[in-house]
Amino acid sequence: MTPARRPRRVVPHFMAAAGLAADHVGVQRTTLVHVAAEVVADGLDPPASHLVNLLERGPLAAYECAAHLHLPYCVVRLLVADLVAAGTLLTRDPPAAEMPRRELLELVLSGLRAL
Amino acid sequence: MGSVPYSGRPGIDDVPVKIVIAGPFGVGKTTMVGALSEIPPLNTEEVLTEAGALVDDLSGVSEKTTTTTAIDFGRLTLPGVVLYLFGAPGQTRYRLLWQDLVRGALGVLVLADTRRIADSYDVMDLVETAGLRYAVAVNDFPDSPDHPGDVLRKVLDLDPATPLVRVDARDPASARGALIALVEHIEEMLP
Ligand SMILES: Nc1nc2c(ncn2[C@@H]2O[C@H](COP(=O)(O)OP(=O)(O)O)[C@@H](O)[C@H]2O)c(=O)[nH]1
Ligand SMILES: [Mg+2]
Repeated sequence: MTPARRPRRVVPHFMAAAGLAADHVGVQRTTLVHVAAEVVADGLDPPASHLVNLLERGPLAAYECAAHLHLPYCVVRLLVADLVAAGTLLTRDPPAAEMPRRELLELVLSGLRAL
Repeated sequence: MGSVPYSGRPGIDDVPVKIVIAGPFGVGKTTMVGALSEIPPLNTEEVLTEAGALVDDLSGVSEKTTTTTAIDFGRLTLPGVVLYLFGAPGQTRYRLLWQDLVRGALGVLVLADTRRIADSYDVMDLVETAGLRYAVAVNDFPDSPDHPGDVLRKVLDLDPATPLVRVDARDPASARGALIALVEHIEEMLP
């Protein structure tokens, strides 16, 4: 069941060199990431182009993006923040807090029981 | 692999719900995330400094000063909500990663193996320190000794309200049953 894991870089040198900083980055692991209208991957450098391609079929959580890009979460989090600042990507922050806890739990329970 | 044919993308308005499945190495975390997930289970790498701090600034990070750990990741879309399943190792040396990873989590399913119960103490310590609701799922392996529930509760020093369930992590229905026990418990403990 476990897929063979290929060796990965820790933090790619080009990304370390880009000096992305984490101040006030709002991206969390479950933040939903999607592509802004009319953005195309052409003209972007990898891994930004890979990310835009990945998201063309619809939004994904930041953590899921990291798995697909084979990059550590800490890298993808900053990459997403950078692309949001550039207007390439949009994020939807976890709206869980907006919903009463009991209502959320009931939604989860009824969904699980119906499977 | 997954229990549900769905493998599309989450809806933009689905409420994300984080559930952590935690336990020592070899206890069945990857198996369980795979049994529950609608997508083939993934893993995402977390980077920590050698001192155990989370990396959030990429400059100055070299391979010498960092250590990585892979977290299982799965997704299960339900009407109105999307469950994100994080399969996380429970070593206390990952305490800072833990604190960050479990932030905002609904709760934690702690996996335990009756052949080596004590291996789950670290993760229970992390979960309790983080103030999270949890349930314990005992994974039955072919050569597991069959301890009665009350003995296991005593060995694990469980609060009477904390659910203790048996699970076959390979079986989606069994894995879902364990999640349901966890979520029911969280609901019961609401003020
Ligand atoms: N019999 C049995 N075997 C299991 C169960 N869960 C996991 N396994 C097996 O135990 C081994 C370790 O499981 P794995 O999911 O990789 O553990 P992890 O290290 O916690 O991710 C694998 O060979 C699984 O097939 C279970 O509930 N019953
Ligand atoms: Mg594993």
